[in-house]
Amino acid sequence: MAGQSNPQLSIFTAAEVEFLAEDEQIDIVPNVRMDTLHMICGDYGPFRPQIPVRVPLWLAIALKKRSKCRIQPPDWMSVEKLTQVLEDEREAPREFQPLPFHYVEISRLLFDHARDDITDPYLVRSLLEDIRDVRFHKVESGLETLSGKTHAVKLKNLAAMEVNIVRPFIVRALQCFYKHDNEDLIKQAANELDSQPVASDRVPRRTLRPR
Amino acid sequence: MAKGRGFGRGGSKGVVMLEAEEGGASERGDGNCCIAWDCEGAHLISSNSHSTLFFHSWPASSSPGPLRRLAHHRSAITGLAFSPSGSSLASCSLDHSVKLFSYPGGEFQSNVTRFTLPIRSVAFSITGSMLAAAGEDDGIKLISTIDSSIVRVFKGHNAPVVSLSFDPNNEYLASAGSDGTIMCWSLSSGKRVHTLYHAAPNTDLNSSCRNEVAWHPKGDVLAVPGRKNGVDVVMYDRDTGEKVFSLKGGHSATVGFLAWSFNGKYIATSAGDNQVILWDVDNRQDIDSQKFESQICSLAWKPNGNALAVMDADGKFGVWEPIVPAHMALPNDTSTQPSAIDREELLRFSDDDDLAVSEDEDKTLTSDRERSASPDIFSRSRKQKDTEEFGSLKKSSVSKKSDSQPQNKQMASSVASLPTMQKAFQPGSTQPDGGIRHFLNYNLVGSVTSCQNEGLSHVEVEFHDTGRGFRVPAMTDYFGFTMAAMNETGSVFASPRKGEKSPSTVLYRPFSSWASNSEWSMRLPAEEEARAVAVGLGWVAATTSLNHLRVYSEAGLQMAVLSLQGPVVTMTGHQEVLAVATHAAVPFPCGQQVIHCMVLNLAAHTKVIEGWLPLSPGSQLTWLGFSEAGLLSFYDSKGLLRVHTSQYGGSWLPVFSASKEAKNEDESLWMVGLTDTQVMCVACKFPDKQPQVSPKPVLSIFNLSLPLVHSDLGAEDLENEFLLKSWQLAQITDEAVRVNDEDEHEEEILKLEATLDRCILRLIAAACKGDKLMKAVELTKKLSLDKSWKGAIKLVSAMKLPALAERLSTMYEEKITHEASQEQELVVQSALTGQVRNTAIDASLNTEGFRPSATMKHGPAPDVQRIKSSLSNGHVLSHKQKVPSIGERCEEASKSSLSNDHVLPQKQRVPSTEKRGEGPTKSSTTGTFAEDNGTHLEDKATLNVAQEEEPFQRSSNPFAKSASNPFAKPPVATDSHTGGVSLLESLKRMRDTELDLKGKVARSNKAVRHS
Repeated sequence: MAGQSNPQLSIFTAAEVEFLAEDEQIDIVPNVRMDTLHMICGDYGPFRPQIPVRVPLWLAIALKKRSKCRIQPPDWMSVEKLTQVLEDEREAPREFQPLPFHYVEISRLLFDHARDDITDPYLVRSLLEDIRDVRFHKVESGLETLSGKTHAVKLKNLAAMEVNIVRPFIVRALQCFYKHDNEDLIKQAANELDSQPVASDRVPRRTLRPR
Repeated sequence: MAKGRGFGRGGSKGVVMLEAEEGGASERGDGNCCIAWDCEGAHLISSNSHSTLFFHSWPASSSPGPLRRLAHHRSAITGLAFSPSGSSLASCSLDHSVKLFSYPGGEFQSNVTRFTLPIRSVAFSITGSMLAAAGEDDGIKLISTIDSSIVRVFKGHNAPVVSLSFDPNNEYLASAGSDGTIMCWSLSSGKRVHTLYHAAPNTDLNSSCRNEVAWHPKGDVLAVPGRKNGVDVVMYDRDTGEKVFSLKGGHSATVGFLAWSFNGKYIATSAGDNQVILWDVDNRQDIDSQKFESQICSLAWKPNGNALAVMDADGKFGVWEPIVPAHMALPNDTSTQPSAIDREELLRFSDDDDLAVSEDEDKTLTSDRERSASPDIFSRSRKQKDTEEFGSLKKSSVSKKSDSQPQNKQMASSVASLPTMQKAFQPGSTQPDGGIRHFLNYNLVGSVTSCQNEGLSHVEVEFHDTGRGFRVPAMTDYFGFTMAAMNETGSVFASPRKGEKSPSTVLYRPFSSWASNSEWSMRLPAEEEARAVAVGLGWVAATTSLNHLRVYSEAGLQMAVLSLQGPVVTMTGHQEVLAVATHAAVPFPCGQQVIHCMVLNLAAHTKVIEGWLPLSPGSQLTWLGFSEAGLLSFYDSKGLLRVHTSQYGGSWLPVFSASKEAKNEDESLWMVGLTDTQVMCVACKFPDKQPQVSPKPVLSIFNLSLPLVHSDLGAEDLENEFLLKSWQLAQITDEAVRVNDEDEHEEEILKLEATLDRCILRLIAAACKGDKLMKAVELTKKLSLDKSWKGAIKLVSAMKLPALAERLSTMYEEKITHEASQEQELVVQSALTGQVRNTAIDASLNTEGFRPSATMKHGPAPDVQRIKSSLSNGHVLSHKQKVPSIGERCEEASKSSLSNDHVLPQKQRVPSTEKRGEGPTKSSTTGTFAEDNGTHLEDKATLNVAQEEEPFQRSSNPFAKSASNPFAKPPVATDSHTGGVSLLESLKRMRDTELDLKGKVARSNKAVRHS
């Protein structure tokens, strides 16, 4: 797929999407006593041992790395929920099941940093990968339906990572369809065809420091 | 026991044994022979020590030899299982595979699974959708028959698994290991439900004896070969894992195989003595027996006839037909006996247990769904005789009332059992339920875990707060501790008495100490046994079976031995206080325990609280503890948490109800602790009532909520908050008064007042919305901060209720003026103290025969204190009287402070003159005092008297509205009635004069001292 092979073309890199996902809230069970943390994005805590508290994912991971907490995997990351989602996902070829917008990134981050807190990690991981594959396949097969008459595509419940991958392709495909449908635009476009609408005004990309 | 043995005894005459294969080698087999009937009972499937399956028709057809041979396995077949539908046959073998064959075709279908080591047993679930297989591998595999996928793996057996049995209700799977350990697994959760360590005999895998287990066809008991000599089969309860009854006296060797008849009335057993015995289970009698040449290692009842197929270790098989004597019910006849009666009979005629079966039980046993819906009816009582053997199997005392008094067997079915006194427990402990680990104590600080591993156990202490710097090493548990308590400084353990040699022991381990070897242990006297322990700041306490409360210091000094009122239920410590709950009487008929509780301060050697615990009807105590602020609280089995409050002379508030808060019905909450505003519990899914050690329990946090009635305000949350906050406020002010340190609590009090006022304001808004104006006025009266009063007035006017707004502002003004006058009084007093201090010495002569206030003798300081308190004690309305004179008095007071000798008496007269209008008698008393003594002291005295009498006088009409009393109406107030600005101004002026005054008082004091 267009965006997948060339990261320069997608609006965000995967690392950037992951960075955005780190703002999602998650429950942790701290094992230290700590006062409220006053952050720009809000106040978190106070932290008391064994008392669950809700913090952003980045903070949870930071604490987890210092082994100051256990991360409680979100509800949807249980085997039962994921099995159900996978089943529904397979049964409904036209629509996507509601999952958190950043489910790919959150699960990835949790598997990277808090694997020991997930029950049945192997099963959860394989289920998540299955779900992702099914959904990506759905997205790809859905793209086949793009035609000259399409001016917009409605994709409900699509997750951030999925959108990010198909966005450049869809946008440009729709633009092309639009142009080719309109004779006036074709004339104009002859001059502007070289200019890349997406990457034109972008400064060289800085790679995010990996955590 | 020997009655009823009929024919066919002492020989195999009744059963003709056939070779499975004509001319087959009949070398001595190793017992890996199986036999099974198909569903119609027309064919027998057998396997001998070789790898071949044989299909035989029965009764034997004219042509000798088997109908068909299946030689798919490469080694001896160890188990056969027919699917319930009869359409497929599973076989497991020493060649590490489980194979599935179609039936009656006999075609090989699939290799269901493969193990790395020989497989010993295979079983089909009741629905036929699952297959369990196990052997020498670690773990029992549960395999879906549809796609051969592994659904679950149950791990836990330390020895090869030799037998598997699915529960007929499709809930559990029972497995037996060759070491005699029986485990019961939940199919849905994959968890181990019960473990019966070494319940069955030890068997050698190479011998032809095997610990076969089998569920009763109705699933209420599990039959297990007996371990003890002379006990052939033991029946264990499905739900509790307790021993129900046993069959004895038949075999001379341990039983290896058993099979229930289809109606559950009979059981056939085979043992190492080459006998097969048929038992009448209802009457616990052996009916018949057959002796064979070699041991029978497979038994199968014919599904549709009075016959039992047997196969011996040599690979010969035979059919014992008819097996059940003609005068008895047929083995497959279920119609004659309804299940409930069957079950009750079964329990009633127990010969070694005293049983009391309540009416409820039969109901619950008949239907699974009923049971899960109403766990509470599922109460039975029984007295176990062999508690030392099975005591560890008992489930938590929360779910059942264990240990009833032994009852007469005849009465058992008709009389409902009496409730019993609950056993002693440690708060925050879980019962061992077959798992390796359980909590001895779990609180907000950390946990003490007892861990049992192959006979050796050890105790682990863990802090929730890992940042505390020290890690406590695990301790090998030589004593067998069953009780523990911990806090930040140390942990205390206690073990029960075990025979003569090892008395009950109490051991204390401090977590950090500068001295080495500061751990200590105490062996209690031989006749005494520890029942509960607690630890606090610098003390350790243990209660014993002799109702002694023994208190030790942190270093192990014996500080006190006290006698308790009754047998201890539980106890807990917090800082320097200890709470002990004891039984006070036999429980109420509904089962509600009668528990007395006292709280001792071990540092001050005082009793702080004493009283009965108000448990919910029909409930037991399940948790006792202190909130973080140190309030005593307890939790009962009905899920209600109550907190002790010093208000109302020491009462209990029901601050939390688990049934109201739990997310779904099958969830129960296990209490861990509470703070001022929140409750911490562990949510346990049914059927668990207590948390498991691993995965680590996760605390659920709930807000306190009183059981309030749905009121017309429609704001229960707010009302709840209001009540709780005002309770907390009262608690804190109490505390502040008690420690006499208001500064420390001031900020806290202020903050609480602010939140309380916010809550009240929202309630006022709700009341106004609902047009409940009286409620709004009442609520407004409860406001404590000036700012919130103004807010209330603003709010009411914004809600377009002018009448109410006006009323509120009048009330506000009254409050203001009253407070001002109160302050005024204080100032006057402080001005007086200067004098008193001055005159106290020379006045001591004059005070003879004059004692208007005893405090006078103690000097000025306590006196002022008293005046202050008398003021703050709410002589609230009395001061309204003095309101008119504020202005003058301010001036007067300032004057007085300059020339304190003369003006003060005058000033004093201001209130008294006013009073004279209302109460001439009183003014005369003041007058007399003034006349009697000419010193300054009497001024003080009159003031005291005046102040003490006034509230008396006013109390006749405490709610007098200012409007109804022209006397009381403050002139300042009338002026500023309409405008808030003038009011504020006047207030400001008053404040100024006050400040001025204070300065002057200080100066005057100095002056007095100089003079």
